[in-house]
Amino acid sequence: MGESKTVTESDSPRKVALVASCLLNQNAKVCQGANYPGVVSPVVEALRSRGYLLQQLPCPELAFAGARRWWAVYEQYDTPAYRAHCRRLAQAIAPLIEKYLRHGDEVILIGLDGSPSTGVRFTSSQPQWGGRPNRPEDDWEIVPRRGIWIEELEAELARRGLPALPATGWALDMGRFDEAGARRDLEQFLDARENRGSREDPVT
Amino acid sequence: MNDARGWRVALVPDRLLNAPQPVSAALPDVLRVLEASRYGILQLPPAGEHSLLLAVIADQAAEYSHHGYAVVAIGIHGEPGNGLHWRRLAPLLRHRGVALPPRHIIRPELDATAEGERLTAFLSEYDLPLEERRRWRV
Repeated sequence: MGESKTVTESDSPRKVALVASCLLNQNAKVCQGANYPGVVSPVVEALRSRGYLLQQLPCPELAFAGARRWWAVYEQYDTPAYRAHCRRLAQAIAPLIEKYLRHGDEVILIGLDGSPSTGVRFTSSQPQWGGRPNRPEDDWEIVPRRGIWIEELEAELARRGLPALPATGWALDMGRFDEAGARRDLEQFLDARENRGSREDPVT
Repeated sequence: MNDARGWRVALVPDRLLNAPQPVSAALPDVLRVLEASRYGILQLPPAGEHSLLLAVIADQAAEYSHHGYAVVAIGIHGEPGNGLHWRRLAPLLRHRGVALPPRHIIRPELDATAEGERLTAFLSEYDLPLEERRRWRV
């Protein structure tokens, strides 16, 4: 199959979307947190229809706290052990991202807004949280901040001398989920990039 | 609160998710088939050295396998290791106590529609035994 690669495939800059693990696999979500059976179709449709290749990021929470974990806020995951785990994951995926960037590809990041780990524009916060979860009485705030996984991933890319990636989040973990609003938001982000009409300079 | 998860996960080569033209024209739209079959995706990297990333993927696959999820692998004929990095991934899975997932291989040289139907049948026919499903899927 390698022999059949075309010049276009090998040489042309591509558009690559790094996507939060759970956007391709809702089984990664915390207990009671899955809104779709598997693939989050509106995100995938929006990206594919604009010519983006998909690159799934690992799910840091699944590999750390397991498939049967409860929900948590930023402060609960903000521990040295979890950050070290996220750094290991970042070191695992960063070489691929670096390859895309050094090839001159346009790379964007689609996280999960409201997530303590994968939030891009927003994460969930409640310094007092602890112990047994108590839904729906539990209350938390949405604050404008990266999640811990995204912080560590961006730090790893910066360590490699790579530029900050244009990023947004699919607003799945913001409390009440509004799919139509989230879709509009994502499409605006993607269309704004299309309308810029030029790519960033390739990384050299 | 309802939870919509499908309890099914497929290991999928990068080549099947991001097939370039003209390769993609000869393939079924695997992403769409998986979506319709209620499967989530664990994407495998393109060809190359990805030792750490494969270990991370094996960790995730093991977590699913140990907790009531049906895990399958979908390969592509003609790619080294069927695009699944199988020579490296299989020992990583075994080391984590995971029985190797059933594999389905897409054949690009055959009719894409028929291959899509064959994939759909494979996905819909596979699941864990009833007692395992009852144990975990509450």
